[in-house]
Amino acid sequence: MTARRPSRAFAARAYRVLLHLLPREMRDRDGMEIEALFVEGAAASREQGILAFLGFLIASGWDVVRRAPYERWRRRGRPRGREEHMVQSFVSDLRFAARSFARQPGATALILLTLALGVAANTAVFAIVDGFFLRPFPFRQPDRLVYLNERAPTWNLDFTQINYPDFHTWRQRARAFESMALWGSSSINLADATGADRVDGLVVTYDFPKVLDIRPVLGRTFTAEEDVPNGPRVVVIGYGLWQTRLGGARDVVGKSLRINSVPHSIIGVLPPEADFPGNVQFWLPLGGDPNQPGGSYSYDGIARMKPGVSVEQARADLMNAHAPIWAATDSAHIVSPRLDPLREQFASNYRVMGKALGAGAALVLLIACANVAGAMLARSIFRRREMAVRMALGANATRVGRQLITESLALAAVAGLIGTLLGRWGLNALVAAAPDQLPGWVQLHADGRTIAFSIAVVLLTATIFGLAPALQPRRQNLAGSLAWGGGARTSGSLPQRRLLDALVVIEVALALVLLTGSGLLLRAYTNLRRVDPGFRPEGVTTFRLSPPRAKYANEVAINRIYSTLIERLEASPGVVSAGVVTCLPFSCHEGNFLQPEGASPTSDGSNPVVLVRIASPGYFETMGIQLARGRFFEPTEAKPGRPQPVVVNEEFARAKFPGVADPVGRRIVWNGDTVASRKLTIVGVVRDVKHYGLATPMRPGVYLSMAGVDSFTYRRSFGVAIRSSANPASVAATARAIVRQLDPELPLIDVRTAEAAVAQSIAPRRAMAFAFVAFGFVALALAVGGIYAVLSYVVARRRQEIGIRMALGARRSQVLRLVVRQGLRLVAFGVALGLPLALAATGSLSELLVGVSPRDPVTIGVAIALLAITAVISALVPARRAAGVDPKTALGD
Amino acid sequence: MSSDMRRHWFYILLSLAERDRHGSGIVRDVLTLTGGDLRLWPVTLYGSLDELRENSWIRELESAPADADERGHRRWFRITPQGRRALAAELERMERVVAVAQRRLAGVGEPFGEASS
Repeated sequence: MTARRPSRAFAARAYRVLLHLLPREMRDRDGMEIEALFVEGAAASREQGILAFLGFLIASGWDVVRRAPYERWRRRGRPRGREEHMVQSFVSDLRFAARSFARQPGATALILLTLALGVAANTAVFAIVDGFFLRPFPFRQPDRLVYLNERAPTWNLDFTQINYPDFHTWRQRARAFESMALWGSSSINLADATGADRVDGLVVTYDFPKVLDIRPVLGRTFTAEEDVPNGPRVVVIGYGLWQTRLGGARDVVGKSLRINSVPHSIIGVLPPEADFPGNVQFWLPLGGDPNQPGGSYSYDGIARMKPGVSVEQARADLMNAHAPIWAATDSAHIVSPRLDPLREQFASNYRVMGKALGAGAALVLLIACANVAGAMLARSIFRRREMAVRMALGANATRVGRQLITESLALAAVAGLIGTLLGRWGLNALVAAAPDQLPGWVQLHADGRTIAFSIAVVLLTATIFGLAPALQPRRQNLAGSLAWGGGARTSGSLPQRRLLDALVVIEVALALVLLTGSGLLLRAYTNLRRVDPGFRPEGVTTFRLSPPRAKYANEVAINRIYSTLIERLEASPGVVSAGVVTCLPFSCHEGNFLQPEGASPTSDGSNPVVLVRIASPGYFETMGIQLARGRFFEPTEAKPGRPQPVVVNEEFARAKFPGVADPVGRRIVWNGDTVASRKLTIVGVVRDVKHYGLATPMRPGVYLSMAGVDSFTYRRSFGVAIRSSANPASVAATARAIVRQLDPELPLIDVRTAEAAVAQSIAPRRAMAFAFVAFGFVALALAVGGIYAVLSYVVARRRQEIGIRMALGARRSQVLRLVVRQGLRLVAFGVALGLPLALAATGSLSELLVGVSPRDPVTIGVAIALLAITAVISALVPARRAAGVDPKTALGD
Repeated sequence: MSSDMRRHWFYILLSLAERDRHGSGIVRDVLTLTGGDLRLWPVTLYGSLDELRENSWIRELESAPADADERGHRRWFRITPQGRRALAAELERMERVVAVAQRRLAGVGEPFGEASS
């Protein structure tokens, strides 16, 4: 079999677990053969469709459960005494359960489906929560790993990234750490005989493998001597790259690899688990220079604390290590180090989502439990006579109670199996929905832990809903239950009725919580989709290029390739315009400091970082960015070495020129820079592009003209945008062909439409909203089922009373109203209970709610109305049944 | 054996009476024999095989038969002379029942085809 079949592999694993019910002797001798038969049958049944497969799984599970007690009993010879009794009665309980469920296939299927849905939601969500929050990093003693960065509140930056000289000082002075390292993301053009590729990896300091305790599978990692400015050209390659590009050859160490058109020598191969923080195909030495003054803030840090050191101690030690830097160059403490547990740092983006998903799934399961408990309770009330007969015939209360628990357990086991499978499919669907949004260290798969979790959930559920009915027979009045006639036949006692009502009220309350939550998330998502990104993505295709230094040594060469590219693109059929920019929307960030000329420092010393982009004159039109004031760049106005024209965004105008109606013509300067030729003149103001995501506020931003860059300010990596009337695939093909003509070693990076970029930027929120809508609908369906079950029960019980009413002249409509009113009463109580819960719960979602109040009355109103309407609909069926009661037959019973 | 033989046992013996088989082969053969009515699920099958071996009605082969179309690590089973006798005894019992049943069906009461109107 070529394709992987995860669902079948998983079923096989679950089946193997189930086989532990068999006696050891039998498992040892026949286990392999039994499994092989199962796998064979599973494959054959899967080909006949999903229903056949499910049927096969259930039958196979039942085969094990039914036969296992017998096999155990057979091997012990004739069992004696109590044990024999237990085994035999368990078997007969099971048989009895199977028969009694088979008598009511519809109700049984409903209960199974209900539970399975609850388990499925939990299996999928547990895998997600586990992947993000519970599963340890695959490194030695991960709790001693901490993440390092720097912060600068007055720059409006929580994470400035780390400056290499700062790190160098920390490494020399800090005492609380075993080791400390930096990494920065890097991507390279990798060219060989098979073509050019863009490959992502890291630049790391030499002690990076020591912090994570990573040992190469081949060769070695960098030495301190190699990790210096302009050091030797060496590379450590990732396991994936080794396998795919180099065929996993054992003799790769010492071979040469062309990186950015320069040969590098391979010194080692990393193990698969070294893929941190994700999608890492190589390591290059970082080669930082501790003596370079200023330097950029561009790296992430990681450190391993010494044993027994707490996070607080480590933090204090790091501050202490940083002190000389403050003393020497930063007396205002503008930049300070920060240290957080590694997991916290990496999971923080997903914390609210993870919690909300977990809570949502737990609520679904709770509702499912309440629902099943209600169904079992109603069933046990209807079965009072059966139980009474069994007890009259000599069964003791324990025996009858055990029968009921056995039934629950059998149900739970089957539902658990189906639910776990459904959950895995759901999880796969979720993972497929958000393919490249997840960091590499997050592994989302349902493994043994998930199975264990599901089993625990199922057992808990079984106990919860098995217990309530099991308690019933003890309290019953035998004579009353056995007596023929009227009420005594099916009526539950008042406390039972109350319990049933209470269960439905709880279901309605929880359903309201979920419906409100899903409504709010859905509204937030639709709001987000309506947010103006600040450009017109329709018809725009983008990609990135990164011409290497080896071939494009200076700004002249860089400008030449990009302007030629733009020219040739614009000459292609269908292309309206083309432009380039250093950071396309939602991609990179490059911050710097800019102020109005002659501006005095603000009173609080704040100086928010400005997003600096370099763009070609045609970029604005191509992206459809709107001009608010002034004009865009003229193609020829910018010249290196002269004062530069600059286009700023509205946020920049607001933040830096408060109260100025039209900042066009004003001058701005780089932080503390007095060189006249580097002054900037504002020629235009454009609308804000939501560069950091549709839900994130935009920073002040400026665009510099590409024509004005000099040998210090030029950049080599640009995003290319093409507006075209042709379809995106043919645009991409055209672009590829043109780039190949210009430089066959230059790969196109991240080719996608601008619309896809917008959609991807909100994909996690979409997945979240859809998951909750699914939860909401399941909750609604379950609550409606609960209302239906209770009212059916009530109608059955009050048949005689209704008959009498009708005989006395009650009209059909009056009877209908009577029953529907009962249903609405339950909803009313449920809403009264659920509303405060919902308000409390949605408050914690506020972080995810864009443009919607957590107490949005419309959403809450719609949720309540939805519950009420569906309650009426579900009440109508039993109500019509009641109204159709023939007084004669009802009274004749 | 005077009482009825278990259905699983009967069909397993019947299947092995034709030739040596492995577990999967028995399952398939019994499905065919019964027109899809009786599927021997894995645990039931191996439990029954063990019981039949305890009765010495079948035995396990040391290795796959030389002419086997499927090799591999499968375990093969062969019916023993005692097994054949047991199967024959069961067939005899069934024949007696069949004979009685046919006599009775042909006797008093409404004949076939006219029972319903």
